[in-house]
Parts: sequence; C-alpha cells; structure tokens
Amino acid sequence: MEQLKVDFDKVIESLKLSRESINFRKKNFNQFINNGFPNKRVEDWKFSDLNQIISSNIENLRFYTDLELGETDESTFIDKFAHNKIIFLNGIISKVDFSFEDDSKVLITNDLNQNETSKEVNPLVSLNNALVASYIRVTVKENYSLNKPLIIYNITTKKLKSTTINLKTDIVLEKNSSLKLINLCGDNSENNFINIVQNFDISQDAILKNYKIDHKKNSNIKYSYNNINLEKNSISENFIFSTGSKFMKNEINCNLNDKYSSAFINGIINLTNSQHHEIKTNINHLAENTKSYQLIKSVLNDNAKGIYQGKIYVDSKAQKTNGYQLSKALLLSENTEFDGKPELEIYADDVKCSHGATSGNLDEDAIFYLMSRGLSNQQSKELLINGFLLDAVEKITDIEIKDLIKKMIGIVE
Amino acid sequence: MLQIKDLKAKIDNKEILKGLNLEIKPGEVHAIMGPNGSGKSTLSNVLSGKKGYTVSGDVTYFNENLLELEIEERAHKGIFLAFQYPLEIPGVNTNIFLKTSLNAVKKANGEKELDAIEFLKLVKKKASELKFDENILSRQLNVGFSGGEKKKNEILQMSILNPKLSILDETDSGLDIDALKIVSDGVNASRSKESSFLIITHYQRLLEYIKPDFVHVLINGQIVKSGGSELALELENKGYESLS
Ligand SMILES: Nc1ncnc2c1ncn2[C@@H]1O[C@H](COP(=O)(O)OP(=O)(O)OP(=O)(O)O)[C@@H](O)[C@H]1O
Ligand SMILES: [Mg+2]
Repeated sequence: MEQLKVDFDKVIESLKLSRESINFRKKNFNQFINNGFPNKRVEDWKFSDLNQIISSNIENLRFYTDLELGETDESTFIDKFAHNKIIFLNGIISKVDFSFEDDSKVLITNDLNQNETSKEVNPLVSLNNALVASYIRVTVKENYSLNKPLIIYNITTKKLKSTTINLKTDIVLEKNSSLKLINLCGDNSENNFINIVQNFDISQDAILKNYKIDHKKNSNIKYSYNNINLEKNSISENFIFSTGSKFMKNEINCNLNDKYSSAFINGIINLTNSQHHEIKTNINHLAENTKSYQLIKSVLNDNAKGIYQGKIYVDSKAQKTNGYQLSKALLLSENTEFDGKPELEIYADDVKCSHGATSGNLDEDAIFYLMSRGLSNQQSKELLINGFLLDAVEKITDIEIKDLIKKMIGIVE
Repeated sequence: MLQIKDLKAKIDNKEILKGLNLEIKPGEVHAIMGPNGSGKSTLSNVLSGKKGYTVSGDVTYFNENLLELEIEERAHKGIFLAFQYPLEIPGVNTNIFLKTSLNAVKKANGEKELDAIEFLKLVKKKASELKFDENILSRQLNVGFSGGEKKKNEILQMSILNPKLSILDETDSGLDIDALKIVSDGVNASRSKESSFLIITHYQRLLEYIKPDFVHVLINGQIVKSGGSELALELENKGYESLS
C-alpha cells in the first residue's frame, strides 16, 4: 500500500486538477485504502477472492500510468465493418474518431475534473475515481442514431510499465437516440490489473446495445463495472463474451427507473486451463411494467472456474415486472467448478419472475451419433459446444456484430 | 465383407448378445427380426463402435478386425447406422452437419472435399429423390423434426455418404406408407454388387418393398433361425413363440 500512496501523489501531481477534483479523488482514495481489494469475506466476492488473485498474479503493484505507448498490434482492430473508434492505449486515450457522424450530434468531453456527489461504496470504483488518468464522456444528442457502431478499444502494449490501469467512460444517450457499442480488449501486456468503470445514462425511448468482448487469451486480471440507468421506454441490450483473460469479473448494476424500460444481459463464459471468470448482475426493477432478461451459457474445461451471480430486485412500486434469468453450464472436465447464485428479492405482488440453472457434461450419445457419421471426437465436441453456445449468441440483435462474435467463437455457417 | 463369430456384448454386467454368428457378403441384403429387447439395437451399436459395452468374439470387416476401429474410422470405411432413435442436436445446423460429415469421410479416403456449392447441389438432388423438404435442412439437426422426418433424414445421410454396409435399425417404424415406399425405393436404388444392408424391422411389410436375401431371427442375444424371405411371412403369421 506504500507504493499506492506514492503513485497516487504522482497521479495527482501529473494531472493538473482543480481543487474540488483533488478532494474528490482523495476521498475516493481513502475509501479504497480503508477497504483494500475485496476478498472472499465480502459477500459479492465470495467466489472470487480478488485480493488473493491479485497478490498471487502480480508481483509489484504499481498504479502510476506512464505515458509510454508502444506499438499497437494492428490485428486488434476490427476490419469487418466501418466504425467509430475510441482507443485507449495503456490506459490513455490515443485516438477518438467519429468521422461517420454528424459532429453536432455526438459530444465528446475529456475533462478529468469531476466531483460526483454520490457516495461510492464499491472500493474498486473508488480506486478508479482516485487514479483514472484518461477519461471520455460521449453524449448522443436527442433523436440521433449513430450511423456506425462505436468500438472502444482497450489496448495494452508490452511497453506498459504500470501494473494497473484504470479506465473510465460515461455514455449519455439523450431522448430517442441510439448507439451500438463494442468494448473490445486487446491485451499485449502481461499480468496487469485492469479496472474498467462505465456509466450509462439512457434517456426516454433511447436504445443502447453494448457488446463486451474479451476474446484473446491473456494473463491479465480484469474487473469491469457497468452502471446503467434506464428511463421510460428505453432499452439496454448487453452481451458479454468472456473468454480471454486469466481473471475477469463483469459486474452490471442496472436500474430500471421508469415504466416500460427493459434490460437484456446475455453472455458466454468459455474457459480453459485455470481461467476464472465471473458475471455478476444486479437488476433493479424500480417502476411498473419493466422487463429484464438474462441468459448466460458457460463452457468450462481443465481447471477453469465460472461464476454467475444474478440478482433481480423488484421494488414495491414495480408492479407487472417481468424478470427472467437462466444459466446453463457445460463442465467438460472433473476439475472445473461452476458456481451459480440466483437471487430474487421481490416486494411487489403482481410480478412474473423466474430463474433456472442447469449444469452437466456433453451427451455421450450425441457424440456417438456425430462420430458415427465420420466426425472425429474433437470435431463432434466442438459442434456440440458451439451448438450449446449458439442460443445465447442468437440473442444479439445486431446482425453484423452477431456474425463477428460467431466468427470469434468459431461457429461456422 | 462382414463376418461375425461368437459375438458377445455386456453392459453393466448384463449380457445382451450371447454368441452371435452372421456373415454378410457384398451386395447382400440381410434382415433381422426379433422381439423387443432381444439385442437388435445393441448389435447395431456394437458394429458402429459405441462405447460402454464389454465385447468379445471376432468381427472381421474387409479382412480387418472391426472391433479395434474407432467409431469414426468405421464410418470412414463405409459402415453406416440409421438410428432407431435419431438424436436431436440443438444449435447444429443440419446442412453444416451433413457437409462436415461428408467431407470428413471424403478426406479420410483421400478424396477431394466438396465446396459449399458442390455440396448444395448434391444435397438438393438427394433430398428431392427422397421427396424430403430441403427447407428442413436449414434447421437444427433433428430438433423438432417429426418422427418420420427424423427417419428420412437418416436415409438422406445414408444416400449422401454412400456407405458399403448400411444398418437400418427400425427405419420403417414411424414412416407413413408413402414415405416407406420412397425410403425403400432409395434403398433399392443403392443396392449394388458392392453395398450390403442389414435391415432391422418388426414388420414384414418393409420386406415386401426391399426383398432381403436372408432373414434372421434374433432372440435373447442369439440368432436362432435363418432363412430366405419367406421366413418373414412365417414369423408374421406364427409370431416368435414357436421359435423360443
Ligand atoms: N445401457 C444399458 N444398460 C442396461 N441394459 C441395457 C442397456 N442398453 C440396453 N439394455 C438392455 O438390453 C436389451 C437389448 O436392448 P436392445 O435395445 O438391443 O433391444 P432391441 O432388440 O433393439 O429392442 P427393440 O425391438 O425394442 O428396439 C434390453 O433388455 C435392454 O433393456
Ligand atoms: Mg432396438
């Protein structure tokens, strides 16, 4: 923690912030110092002891983001379709490109001088608030739909000296606007802790599609926290493709604040070796006629560990809520572990909520059937696994992005 | 092409095949009839290489010890089993499965694999011969197929893979009269000097369409009687009681 204090002072010094902003960061810093990295005694972290994971994977924690950028690996960039870009390189924004859009309709701000008043209780968000060195806020103006998707690239290079990176983005969709967003990881550094915080404010009738892709195998430890606020009749569609990092926890807190808003969180966890990934969701139904839907499919090999903690909270005001969650896991070796913890907390009486979970191995008879047609054991298993994952992928409503993710998984058509 | 000598198969310490002998020569059509639970499907599974059985005896297929071959190697060498209960495979597109299967067999035999267009042409032709609605082939493999559609899909696979030994395990059960006729025509059309058939059925009707060279009666894990096609008629009239 000594290093952390030294690095914090360096960050504050280098960023040239306002007095209020420095105070805000100090408060957050102290909040983190008081809690430290969450360990398994914290209820939300009982399946993923981050403190232990970080100390056993990262030797000397350093928090100061240097400005050495290094070369970007061109293969990280998506060339299948045209898109707008924001590129974070080693935690620093290196490119912002909205050339497909009307620039009076998409506002970009980078001002690091923030001092939000809300009391933060998540120590990792506090850590992020205290240390973040590069920030972007994208506001989509009323009635505007972006012509092309936006891809936020989170790229690290071998030149990275710090062992931790804090990224922060805020996305604001004004009334009746829409955005398709891909958050794509491109990891070339090793054994880093990457802490990503994203806030989404989705106004009335607006639509946000957010596809979170961590697909290339890497040794990094990641935490991604999304806070989503939905207003009347707005939609948030999320897809999590969780397969690359050594450790990854995707946490989504979603507030359905007003009538007819809906949230979809679908995802895939596909792991080998000793990878450990978690998806944790909190869906808060806070108004009438709100809807949430979650489908998570996990495939675990070797010694991998997968976790899905899905909580649906229904406020007493939120009559006619429709909440659904389903988790299915394929455990392909005896040494895998899958932990599922569904939670329903319901204070209204006229609601439809359900949850379900299954886990098991591949069907031997199905393997026999496919092999009897000449497919190898490996080919048969791959077909069955991809078949198992397909219905979650099919939930993606954007065809272009769905095809991209299918290709990344290896689903042929 | 296939010689089975004293074949025994056990599962969970239960002996199901109890010393079965059978020889099939190239071009022959053999029918096996027998009561429920007598071991007919077990025989098909053991010949196709399904795991989980303790097997003893000799099975020679084109001068090779069949029992030592992997499931997919048997398929590559021309053994095809039309399943009594074809499995539903969610998330696997039927056309992709068919193409993967055909190309796996072709590759193993050193033949040129088909590209998407060549494959589509072949599948169109085979499906129309079997009066099989090809729209079904863009659906997930057997998922939501009717009983008869599943059986027809098995025969479609057979006609695409063009096997040397086809084992049809109660393919006729669940087929309507027209479908039975079409499937039989399909089998008859692929009868040749090289390809042989082992047809498992409960009904003499199928054997009117596909005239077998031999009929065997399998009871309690053994072939208790063999004869010509007239044996099927005899069984239809007298049942299995008189034989056991
Ligand atoms: N996995 C198994 N464990 C225990 N017994 C089994 C197993 N599989 C098959 N059997 C038993 O072996 C016997 C033969 O089964 P099989 O399926 O071969 O019969 P069949 O002749 O094909 O019958 P049918 O005409 O009803 O299709 C039955 O008594 C069946 O219950
Ligand atoms: Mg049977």
